[in-house]
Amino acid sequence: MELRHLPKKVILSQHFVLYLSLTYFFILWLFMPYIANLRNLSNIASNMWPLFALVIGQMFVLIVGGIDLSQTSIMAVVSVLGGVLMSSQLDPALFAKSPLWGLCLSANGGVLSGAKIAVPLGLMIMLFCGLLIGFFNGLCVAKLKMPPFMVTLISMMFYSGLAIFLTASENITHLPATFIALGKGGFAFVTYAFLIVLILALVAHTILHRTVLGHWFYAVGMNIKTSIISGVPANRVLILAYMFSGFCAATGSILYSARLEGGRPTLGQDVLLDIIGAAVIGGMSLFGGKGKVIWAFYGVLFFTLLANSLNMMNLSFFTINIVKGSVILIAAFLDVVRTRIAAKERGA
Amino acid sequence: MKNFLLLILGLMSFVVLCCNRSVDERLTICFAFQDLETEFWVAAHKAITETLSDRGVRLIERNASEDANRQLEQIKDAIAQGVDGIIVIPQDGQSANTIIGEANAAGVPIAIFNRPPADSSRHAIVIVADNEIIAEQAVDYMVTQAARKNQKFTPCLVVGDLGDPNAVERKNGFYNAINKRPDLFNEVVQVPSKWNAATTLANFEAALQAHPEINFVFTSSDFLYPQIRAVLEPLGKWVARGNENHVILGGLDGDQYACSMMRQGIVDATGVQDLFFEANTLMDELLKAIQNGEKRPKKWITDSGFALTQDNLAERGQDMWGCTLLGEK
Repeated sequence: MELRHLPKKVILSQHFVLYLSLTYFFILWLFMPYIANLRNLSNIASNMWPLFALVIGQMFVLIVGGIDLSQTSIMAVVSVLGGVLMSSQLDPALFAKSPLWGLCLSANGGVLSGAKIAVPLGLMIMLFCGLLIGFFNGLCVAKLKMPPFMVTLISMMFYSGLAIFLTASENITHLPATFIALGKGGFAFVTYAFLIVLILALVAHTILHRTVLGHWFYAVGMNIKTSIISGVPANRVLILAYMFSGFCAATGSILYSARLEGGRPTLGQDVLLDIIGAAVIGGMSLFGGKGKVIWAFYGVLFFTLLANSLNMMNLSFFTINIVKGSVILIAAFLDVVRTRIAAKERGA
Repeated sequence: MKNFLLLILGLMSFVVLCCNRSVDERLTICFAFQDLETEFWVAAHKAITETLSDRGVRLIERNASEDANRQLEQIKDAIAQGVDGIIVIPQDGQSANTIIGEANAAGVPIAIFNRPPADSSRHAIVIVADNEIIAEQAVDYMVTQAARKNQKFTPCLVVGDLGDPNAVERKNGFYNAINKRPDLFNEVVQVPSKWNAATTLANFEAALQAHPEINFVFTSSDFLYPQIRAVLEPLGKWVARGNENHVILGGLDGDQYACSMMRQGIVDATGVQDLFFEANTLMDELLKAIQNGEKRPKKWITDSGFALTQDNLAERGQDMWGCTLLGEK
């Protein structure tokens, strides 16, 4: 390979964001040696896994040409649901005004309080709730032909409000230790959060690249009419994409709730920029038909590294948001540049 | 293309160079706050940052913008950065617990300012006002004013975010005072504020429509007075003592607006937190713990505060931090 072709090779490589992340990391290392210390690397990793789960879900919806703005509110509802099911103690002064008080909440906690199966059953119900909300989103998009932006925006408002209404805006505490361990515990350097998201990523990768369904996702995203003519059950594919997004949002919610040790009706309110940002940086197209699990990982890696480094630079909250926004814009611009170069290459 | 890549690398280096400060040997403290939405937090932020700078401490500030997860990540990043101590205004009592746990595990001394953790089992220096007693003292005075009039009152309590233990204590203090004279009062109308101005305005407006007879109002924080005024003023009820439409008004914090309204006779009493005492004591204790090499100091300090009333305004007005700041302007 000629050396002069190297930059083009790098920029067109599907691992471009990884190279960018590594370069950025090494530059940072020169000026901020503590960025590479074990504790900070562990922080970056622990911040990555819940976001990675969410971005994987968003990726499925982006591949079919949609967008899921409701992921954050699914997180909130699922987090509250987990609290309602598993909490072992509640303060009547805080929850007496909740519509669930007396029905499934009491001073002794939630419905499954103290039960041996509280955590596994609670987790299953939380994940099912994510799937169900995703199913309704998908149904509206696929069957009613409603714009995904509108459907998921309304879902976002509805479920955010519902989460606050159900808990009278209070955080639900006293969750089982085994549940909290999902967000904090692990074996030596391998955390449970990492293992859970690794499994999710492998499942997502297998679906996308080893099954017919995976090909259908891409086909629907590239051109839905052509895919229908080709015999792809487009409606079912769309619904499944939103269901998977809901499932991933529920997984993210479980990890965030566990690390924060509580069911929070406001969970995820500010995380939408991070999800979309990481997806776009990773190379997912907002026009559909494009996306890989490994790209989602690269996007999350770069975004988390960026957030971590900006924190270390002692910048204000507003400056951090400005920088994040600018980086997403540059990423979108780079995507256009790469697509053009690739098209030229093919033409040549 | 080569130039383009070089440009990106150059820009990245520039950002890092510009933003990174040179390493120094000074003590480094991370000051993490949930947001600065009220005058009390703004004044506390000013007092803490200025005092620490004056004492030669390198300060790292983190604003979580009311996101508990972001605050947790910020604290973990600060610990990784090797800070010597942490001062936190937590998003709520529950997230304070989680954050203290992280600091305890890392062996970094942590101090919690004005918003106590939901349980006191973990190790932190906590300073908090005795909100129940301060609220009770302020409302006691309001009750004495009500008792002078030959009528029954409909009290309204603007409740804070009940996830915040301070809000719960202020509510308890209000009821302690009201329950001393059940003969004077109808049922209390509660208005949830969630420590949010827009929520308060909407809920207080609705409460006044449902209960136009409300004539006794206590706000759990002074920063909500403008919203209360926005509702009462058009009804001709935002008037000074002595006017027959005067609503007996009280609050808690002791900010500049409350001071100004006290001087105009519109507000009857306000519970005062001694902001400067709280900020200075907390910093003293944290710096002392760092100097003594204490990794997990545990101390609970109470600011007993006081109630500023129309009767002691001339005598104690300048003890209220809001009046001090007002005087500086």
